Formats: sequence, C-alpha cells, structure tokens
Amino acid sequence: MSVLTPRVRSVESKHTQVAIYSMSPEINSEQAVRGAIQTHSKRVWRFGLALSGASDVADDLLQSTCVRALERHHQVTSLERLDSWLMTICRSIWLNEVRARSVRKAQALSVTPEAELIATGPDSETNIFAAEVFTQVMQLPEAQRETVMLVFVEGYSYRETAALLEVPIGTIMSRLSNARQKLKNVMQHDAADAVRRSGK
Amino acid sequence: MKFSDETLKAYLEGNANVAEAAAIEAAVETDPALEQRLMGLDPLAPVVHSVFENIPADAPQIELPESVPVYAAQTSGGLWRLMAVAASVAVVAVSATFWATRPEPMGWAEQAAIYQSLYSPDTIASLDSSPAALDAQFAQAEAQLGRSLNQDALEVLPGLELKRAQILSFKGKPLIQVVFADDQGQPLAFCVIRQGEGAPAKDVKLAAISGVATATWAQDGYGYMLIGSSEQTDLQQQLDILTATFAG
Repeated sequence: MSVLTPRVRSVESKHTQVAIYSMSPEINSEQAVRGAIQTHSKRVWRFGLALSGASDVADDLLQSTCVRALERHHQVTSLERLDSWLMTICRSIWLNEVRARSVRKAQALSVTPEAELIATGPDSETNIFAAEVFTQVMQLPEAQRETVMLVFVEGYSYRETAALLEVPIGTIMSRLSNARQKLKNVMQHDAADAVRRSGK
Repeated sequence: MKFSDETLKAYLEGNANVAEAAAIEAAVETDPALEQRLMGLDPLAPVVHSVFENIPADAPQIELPESVPVYAAQTSGGLWRLMAVAASVAVVAVSATFWATRPEPMGWAEQAAIYQSLYSPDTIASLDSSPAALDAQFAQAEAQLGRSLNQDALEVLPGLELKRAQILSFKGKPLIQVVFADDQGQPLAFCVIRQGEGAPAKDVKLAAISGVATATWAQDGYGYMLIGSSEQTDLQQQLDILTATFAG
C-alpha cells in the first residue's frame, strides 16, 4: 500500500484544486475573460485587420469577439492561452458572419491600403519602407495573410498557428514560404536602398 | 536529420532545392526545437513584426456588458443522467446481438473501444508521464491531428491523471488516444480522429462497447470518444468538460 501513496496523494491534491476552482467558476472564468480582453485587445484588432483588410471591420470584429467570449466564459477550462481562444473566436465570427459581406469592401481597400495606420516618425525613408511592407502584407491572399500575422507579428509557433487555424503544420510552412517569395522584392529593394544610402 | 544554419537560411530565403525543403518541412512536424531554430533565423519575421507591432496605436474601444447572459444552458444533469442510464441498459442488451450479427466492417469508435478494453492498470502503471514527455507527445499528436488537443484542460480533468498521448491510425486517418488513470489506477481514454471537412456532426451518443462505457460525438471534421474502464464507469463529469472544451 505504501507504494500507492504518492499517486493517491497526487489525485487528492488534484481533487482539491478542482474543488476550489469549481466553488466559484462563474466569477473566476468571467474575470479571466475580461482580463484577457483588456490584455489582448490590440492583438485581436490586428488579427481582425489582417483577416478583413479594413479597420472599421476590425473594430466590429473585436467588439463581437469580446461580447461572444464573455457569453462563453463558462467554456474556459484553463486560464492559459486565452489569447489564442480569443483569436479563434474572432476568426470564426469573420468566417461565419462577416466575411461574405466584407470581401468586396476589403478588395477595394487592398488597392489603397490604410497607410495612415503606420505611425509617422521623423525618418521618412523608414516610413516609406514600413508603408511598403504593410501594403505588401495586406495584399497577400487571406490564408497567407492570417498566417503571416499569427507567426511573424503575434509570435505563435508554427504548430500553435496550425492548431489555431485547424490546418496541418506543413500547410503553415508552405503558406509562409509563398508569402516570403512575394515579400522578397520589398526586402531586396530595401537592401538596395541601404547600399545606395551607405555609398553616398 | 541535422540541418545547418546555412541550410535553414537557404530554405527561408527560397533557395533550398525541393528535396531539402521537403526534408526540413517533414522534420519540423516532429521536432519543436528545429521549429524554434527555423523561426529564429527567419529574416522576414522581425521586419513584419516591427511594422505591425504598433498598430493600432491606441487601445481599441470595446463596449462590454456589465453582466453577461447565460449562453447555451448546459444539458440538464437529471435528464441527462436518466438518458444515460436508459441508454446504457438498452445498449448493453442490444450490443451483444448487434455484434454477433453485424456484417459490415467496424468503425473507428468500435476499434478504439476494443483496443482500450485490452488495457489494464498494469498497462499504464509504468508510463513516463513527466511534463516533458507529455509536452513532446502532445506536440507530435497535435501536428498529426492538425488541431489543438487542449492539453491544459486534459491535465485537470476531475478525478483523472493524464498518462500519455499516443498516435494511432485508422484507415489512414490520424487517431490520437489520450490515456488517463482514475484514482484506482484504472485506465480511461479520450480519443480524437480527423475525419476531414464535410464529415457529419453527431450529437453525443452513449454506448457500452466491448465491455466498456463509451461516449462518442463528432463536430467540425473531427470525431471524439471518451472510453471508461468498465461498463459502469460514469463519464458524465468529464464528458461535460470535454464537449465544452472541444466545441468548435
């Protein structure tokens, strides 16, 4: 019997944790979701922008995501990874409820992307480059755009991104390869500018 | 296989040949350390990150309700339990004749239940369930499956201790078996199979198969199954959590 003791104890402590948690799950998970919304609102907005290509749609997507997340706070069983949970809700709302009526608008916008979103600084060459990168990213096909956003900007690993977008990890890697090919020109252009500047 | 930084950089710059690129992509699927190296070497990531990190400049406005309505009321415990009892009684009676006369090939759920019914406490007593082993198993399983297995939620299922995630296969489809021990050391399992887009969604169905209590459901191209250690195992508490965790 003494051999079994450690496991029994670990199960008991697990029971205790669960019991404490379930005494007030409503309060805990609702507060956790409200906190996550405050912490991650910029990331969700940015993801909404990447999905839709339009800042007003990103506003709506963020608002809907937060309301939906609060309605579903009882589904939260772990207080970690609430950011990817919010992203998943945002994308689901985009795909199921918003995309069809926004696509035409997004296409129109992709021709003249919202360059005013780029912070203006003293270095105009840097600003021009940033605007160029922004434009090129926003002109990627939607699947590549959302993948680039999650991996390059939000820092999710390939496998986390694969789980979030519900595709195989190989698909994530090939989307990134394709996006790199398209963004290569901007980079080379920038490198050439840098050489020219350093030479003058 | 080992890849040099030069090889990885060539891949990231689009200069690797097809065979090299395929080898790297295949290796990343099972090697999180390689994935981290590759991500660290990506020349484009910091550029794109720096352009987007300050967008939007100000925290966006959100209007949140003070109190939230209760969404999608949970299935009533009483009714559910009654149905569960009725279902298990009926299914136990039916399943014997069902199995004796069933001509068509078995589905994944039946196969999984039969496989699981061969597990004994000794099968799982000596498994390596250290956090490192479990993290690696889940990373591989999730890569195969193409979706998250919500490891955090599985680690805190009431009354169950997470033991192992194992990759199986049914007719070429990845089938992940996550094994738990209950407080008696009896084995239980949660299985997920990728059925593909367009697979029909199915509501939770309770059945006793091959001498063990099971619950199966399907949603969004994945099939799910919770398997008890005997026909008497009460799966309800875990089932409530899993159906919520794996919804959508």
